[in-house]
Amino acid sequence: MDKIIVVQPEKCTGCHTCELVCSFTHSDEFNPTRSRISVINFEKIGFAFPVLCQQCGEAACMKVCPVGAISRSAVTGAMEINDGKCLRCQMCTIACPFGATLYDPVANIVAKCDLCQGDPQCVKLCPSGAISYQAASVNSLSKRKAFAARFTDVFEEVR
Amino acid sequence: MRIIIDEKPVEVEPGITILEAARQNDIDIPTLCYHEAFGGQGMCRMCMVEVKNGATSRLVASCTYPISEEIEVSTSTPAIARIRRNIIGLLYRRAPNSEFMQLLREQYKCPEVRLDVNQEENCILCRLCVKACEEMGSSAIAAVFRGTDKRIGTPYDDAATACIGCGACAQICPTGAIAMTESEDRRTIWNKDFALVRCQRCGQPVGTPEQLEYIASKSGLALEFGLCQECRRKQAAVKVSGYHR
Repeated sequence: MDKIIVVQPEKCTGCHTCELVCSFTHSDEFNPTRSRISVINFEKIGFAFPVLCQQCGEAACMKVCPVGAISRSAVTGAMEINDGKCLRCQMCTIACPFGATLYDPVANIVAKCDLCQGDPQCVKLCPSGAISYQAASVNSLSKRKAFAARFTDVFEEVR
Repeated sequence: MRIIIDEKPVEVEPGITILEAARQNDIDIPTLCYHEAFGGQGMCRMCMVEVKNGATSRLVASCTYPISEEIEVSTSTPAIARIRRNIIGLLYRRAPNSEFMQLLREQYKCPEVRLDVNQEENCILCRLCVKACEEMGSSAIAAVFRGTDKRIGTPYDDAATACIGCGACAQICPTGAIAMTESEDRRTIWNKDFALVRCQRCGQPVGTPEQLEYIASKSGLALEFGLCQECRRKQAAVKVSGYHR
């Protein structure tokens, strides 16, 4: 079974290291606006949460892509964007429920988490261990499901 | 199937085009109207190559030539270099102010323009925009008129009902010839004005109502798009934290 990224917000300190690591890995510069992961900080209550692509089963980004440029990688299970095929219509960036697919105007690409080809750098360098990359076990899946349930509520609320 | 490209024997799947076979083997053939999303259109003729089949040899557009026989391909003979230089020279005369064409003119060492030219023109009629629009399912634009009057436009230059204001045409245009302007509450492209849906929380523009409709119908997911990208992230985090402002 594929490995998945599991986020434990109770461990996140809101240091934004993952954003710097991500942008440096993919864009060769330390620029959080070009990062595919972004930390949302609520300083008053001391809560931080890194938001990134959930590699959805029924991915909205893949469904709205007019040319089929987004597909699931057979190796990592990540939803990957074929830059050559991509028209840059940016429909996927509007469709993503998590806001985790973004247009990078500097590189002129649509960027999203690709699990670093199976070796996610944010996981490696997170100082507090809030992001982990685990085999999709009953345990890790139930953690994810708990989040998914909460995410579902998000959209009910938005509606 | 084994063919020869530039004296190099390569193994290819029958049915793929010469251009695809060359690119798979890191042999560069220049193109203007080709895109991986929809293939070649045979429009710009920049990808012309010489195909030898036995004793006969001829020039073909490699982007639309499917390989069915064991042919021998040359991608850069003097004749082909002359054709490409002519194409770039003519397109440069059409759009001399486009940075894209200026770079190509230098690369292909074409002469400067000495005739009267339309200083406003940036379009090189590659029709990437037309194909992109078609892929989006809209087909709102096409090449209109003939000969020197040929240009890209909507039917009768009216606001096209099919246009959803996504801007895929403007994004794909290599010369930046398609104008898309966005003001406080409107987006204008191809003589059509679009209202903008704004984020319910921060007021940032999310997209046109037509775009959101497209996403809703295509994804089949009952999602609402009342939030911008940043606020969607925040909303996810808010719910996880149980913290409401």
